Amino acid sequence: MWPDRRLLDLFKTEFPIVLAPMAGAMDTDLAIAAAQGGALGSLPCAMISVDKAREQINIIRQRVSAPVNMNFSCQKMVDADPARVAAWKQRLAPYYEELGLDPAARLPATNRAPFDAAMCELVEELKPEVVSFHYGLPDQALLKRVKAAGCVVMSSATIVREAIWLEQHGCDAIIAQGAEAGGHRGMFLTDDIAEQPGTFALVPQVVDAVKVPVVAAGGIADGRGIAAAFALGASGVQIGTAYLRCPESRVAGPARIALAEARDDATVITNVMTGRPARGVPNRMMREVGPISPDAPAFPHAATALGPLKAAAEKLGKVDFTNLWAGQALWLGREMPAAELTRALAASALARLSQMAG
Amino acid sequence: MPIVTPLTALLGIRHPILQAPMDVIAGARLTAAVSSAGGFGILGGGYGEKAWLEAETKKLKGTPAPFGIGFITWSLAKQPELLDVALDARPGAIMLSFGDPKPFVPRIKAAGALLICQVQDEGMAQQALDAGADILIAQGTEAGGHGASRTTIDIVPSIVDLAAGRVPVAAAGGIGDGRGLAAMMMLGAAGVLLGTRFYASQECDGAEEAKKRICAATGGSTVRSIIFDLSRNNVWPAPFNGRCLINDHARRWAGRELELLQNVKTVAAEYADAKAAGNFDIAAVIAGEAVGLIHDIPPAAEIVDRFVAEADQIFLGRRNSSAASRA
Repeated sequence: MWPDRRLLDLFKTEFPIVLAPMAGAMDTDLAIAAAQGGALGSLPCAMISVDKAREQINIIRQRVSAPVNMNFSCQKMVDADPARVAAWKQRLAPYYEELGLDPAARLPATNRAPFDAAMCELVEELKPEVVSFHYGLPDQALLKRVKAAGCVVMSSATIVREAIWLEQHGCDAIIAQGAEAGGHRGMFLTDDIAEQPGTFALVPQVVDAVKVPVVAAGGIADGRGIAAAFALGASGVQIGTAYLRCPESRVAGPARIALAEARDDATVITNVMTGRPARGVPNRMMREVGPISPDAPAFPHAATALGPLKAAAEKLGKVDFTNLWAGQALWLGREMPAAELTRALAASALARLSQMAG
Repeated sequence: MPIVTPLTALLGIRHPILQAPMDVIAGARLTAAVSSAGGFGILGGGYGEKAWLEAETKKLKGTPAPFGIGFITWSLAKQPELLDVALDARPGAIMLSFGDPKPFVPRIKAAGALLICQVQDEGMAQQALDAGADILIAQGTEAGGHGASRTTIDIVPSIVDLAAGRVPVAAAGGIGDGRGLAAMMMLGAAGVLLGTRFYASQECDGAEEAKKRICAATGGSTVRSIIFDLSRNNVWPAPFNGRCLINDHARRWAGRELELLQNVKTVAAEYADAKAAGNFDIAAVIAGEAVGLIHDIPPAAEIVDRFVAEADQIFLGRRNSSAASRA
């Protein structure tokens, strides 16, 4: 039996497990499979259009009868600083040359847009059971509409102060994202990477600071980790990295091999891939330009100039400029269908909890 | 209900709670208090200061409850004779951290003491097992003081798997209350090693001002860096650096470590003065990420009792104590 049912009551899922929304690494297939297994299936919508998001949610609704989570980002957009972007392109010029690309060619516009009125209308139309945000919350008018549509609202805190802020601004559940987590740090009231606590230190501090249920995230990829999160006071867990190697993920070809072959201590936090700190397996870009560089333009402008390099290198079978987002639990990942993995995670967590109670 | 694990059985203790051998501030008083409470106190031999070690071990001689003595391995290697001073006090175990334990193993075993090795990755764990370690401490980056980069939730299960039941593994780093003990045991640990929590105890020999700062600190107010080591001319081997509370000195030099190195003479003099004067705006308060869970300075025995009671409630499937008291 789960020692805490608050998240189960809120989401109405079979298990208190949230599939982490991993933009770029997954779409409908993984969300459907995880939901079929009993987790909350999440669809990352931060890098897709309104039409694409509608199409994908409709596919999910057709294939599984379970609650669904639409995930958005809500960064404050800052205009690209022309001087910084020019210097960044200069820094990347040798790579353009090496791959036979024209560094002067016009770059495509960013596909990373924050949650806006158009997406809010879509939420009102589709009424997902849960909406989760990254980098804080959208403005109060939009958030009010999301809540009026009946959606449970969730967002990530990386420090206690962010958790308190999220609760005050209307979050129904808070993801405590420890430093172990893969992908972008959800930080929005701090920009100091050195002060980001680990999951074990963060979760109980957040639990003490807020009244809403807390979802532990970062480094959790097996039944032991889930049981530990409950011991710390969490009401559930969000898991991403463990699902990366499932057949339903969109991690393909060389990237899949790179993740499978990464060593147990391989992941690092970098800002050179997008301009925001994120954890992943080092690629050539992170090794040679980062992992942290003061020259990276603000999010998401650092990523824009990397687009052509990523595409050209991938054609050659290389992940030199590909995001290999993954958390510290990468070594626990298994190649297993996501529904089966979800059930195995829940079963081993329950077994661990009852074993320790005996 | 007592929490019985392979660690309690091996060390002959009542509770699976070890007190970290914090350099000099974990003196005989704290060590004896933790051991008397049913945990395992470990004297903070640290870098190795002979007069201090002789004085403190003398106070520990004849303590009825088992206790340990800890050293920084690479520093002990410079004055290996200190191990004899330690063994002369008949400790139940010697704890070695940061370096190859192998040269010291024959003397430790000949004296009938157990060997506890603190490790930060799989390579070090294997080295310790090969050398004959009886207990491993898997230390995550959340820990105060010296350590490395991997976090507790990552390193603990990995080391537990590697040890494969041959020796008990205790967890260290980021543990501030009984929830942490329960969580570490969920991960497969046989117990915990607590530093910062015992720093803020009545019997710890640390400065009162430092203890108060630990109680006042919130989560996210510590940083792992080389700034304080550089500032006291104390060069550590890679990959180790130290976690401390963020203070004016840490803020001043963050990201300017090279410049600090270039001005090290001036800074070191200034730092030594501040340390002597107890000015913790400059001098380090060595503490881990659990500071946000620590709000008082109780007797060590009370800390042990609280941990056991809280963990016990969690194992029984009751809500964790903090949430329960709030509801």
